[in-house]
Amino acid sequence: MAKGLGEQNREWYARYKDDVKKEGKAFFPRAMLHDTIMGIVVVGVIIGLAVIWFYDADGTEAGVLGPWYEDPAEPGTTDFIPRPDWYFYFLFYLLRIFEWPETVVIATVGIPTILLMLLIGLPFYDRRRERRPSRRPVAMVAAVLTVLSMGVLTYKGATAEETLGSTLIADGVPNEWAEKQGFVGNQKAEAGAELFAATGCLQCHIYLGLGAGNLGAPDLSEIGQTNDVAYFVQYLSNPARFGNTVMGSYSYLGQENLAALGAFLEASKGGEEPDSR
Amino acid sequence: MVDLAVLAPLDWVDERTGAVRGTKWFLFRNVPRDISWAQTLGFGTLIAFAVQTLTGAILAMYYKPASEIDPTTGKPLAYASIEHITNDLTLGWLVRGMHRWGASVFVILLFMHMARVFLFGAYKYPRELLWITGVLILAMGMLMGFTGYLLPWDQTAYWATVVGINLNGTAPFAGPWLSQFLAGGAEIGSDTLAKWYALHMLLIPGALIALIGIHLYLVARLGITSPPWSDEAAGRERPVRKPTGARAGLVRPGSGSK
Repeated sequence: MAKGLGEQNREWYARYKDDVKKEGKAFFPRAMLHDTIMGIVVVGVIIGLAVIWFYDADGTEAGVLGPWYEDPAEPGTTDFIPRPDWYFYFLFYLLRIFEWPETVVIATVGIPTILLMLLIGLPFYDRRRERRPSRRPVAMVAAVLTVLSMGVLTYKGATAEETLGSTLIADGVPNEWAEKQGFVGNQKAEAGAELFAATGCLQCHIYLGLGAGNLGAPDLSEIGQTNDVAYFVQYLSNPARFGNTVMGSYSYLGQENLAALGAFLEASKGGEEPDSR
Repeated sequence: MVDLAVLAPLDWVDERTGAVRGTKWFLFRNVPRDISWAQTLGFGTLIAFAVQTLTGAILAMYYKPASEIDPTTGKPLAYASIEHITNDLTLGWLVRGMHRWGASVFVILLFMHMARVFLFGAYKYPRELLWITGVLILAMGMLMGFTGYLLPWDQTAYWATVVGINLNGTAPFAGPWLSQFLAGGAEIGSDTLAKWYALHMLLIPGALIALIGIHLYLVARLGITSPPWSDEAAGRERPVRKPTGARAGLVRPGSGSK
């Protein structure tokens, strides 16, 4: 029996075709009946979700399935925490794991691409004819691990908490920064600190241990050692000019606010422990 | 009478297109005796997609992909049109709700269908291309979710899309170009909305419908697998037993093991 896999496969499939022709049941109407019932259930579930969603919410007031809509989009306010649809939560959370600038590309491109390749290539690296799950331990373990990790990442993404800028200000965090960095009394820098908290910089950046570190954004606690106000204002107005295509422009904040942010960044020299550099 | 009104035109069409023979081929085929509910997930996914197509077409009749402020409501046009659909149109809330939740149901069914195919080993020879088109359908489905998320133009939509565009920007080589293309300009606004709207209701659905067509054709052509633990003849692996001993020569090879 030294037949090649291809020949065995063809023989086996020819037999399957033959068996189905002789002993199978008709697709229409017998198998279609199950399908039709399934279709009705699917439409029913969708309508049910729509009805629950609509009657439990009211405008921007959320019900169990969320609100009808949030407030209109406002490019000016960054005091809002973005959240993707649930099936992107795993990616959303991956980004928080690979948060350093050098590794963010692993989460955004690397892992999804590898997963997609593994998925597309499955029939080509798993070529055995065996179909019974009990005889495919590697495949089953891999499947369980995949489902588990996707589940955990989705759950973590769903429950991940981020701090709103307004909460930071209410907690007096900008004042703490001023004390730690030693710019108390520097009004421009203090105003900049409030803006820094309010405009959502911490959704990507880390500052004195706070923030998310998303998308490879650097820690800004000691950024004041590198440059001055004029540079920061220019950078914030158009990060792309400095080769940064990830960060958006903040020119909409206006010159006065940008100057305040620049003063704040310049005053951020790392705080109590002076750096030796 | 029936002959003249129904059968004759059908014959006319069939002679020129093969449509009637094709439909018969699709409907009047046999499937393994023991396929059951697990194998209806694919059809369920198809129905969810049909719901999305239908409700999406209705929404497109009332939706305005523009971020300019509507002078009467003082809100962005896209947002105001979503409000109008939800609050004013007869059953508009139902159509929008079905589209919104149908998307999630579609994705869940895609994953369940994929899990079933994996568990049953149904991606193996000769169904490799079925699996690949299926994975592409999944990827397109995720892209539909990504592009559709921006359209309501509310805070969630806007800020999630800002992050999404920035994510694309991190890709090596193509990244900056990709985020530039997706944003459609210096800032996310009307140009972005129009572009994502076109992607969401023309380009990606076009690709999806083509992929689903190929997928369905292959299902009909290659047949459905019965469960791997099946007792039915069609589902079982049977070694071709060579008759031995006294029966040798009396039994045809391949018919011996039921």
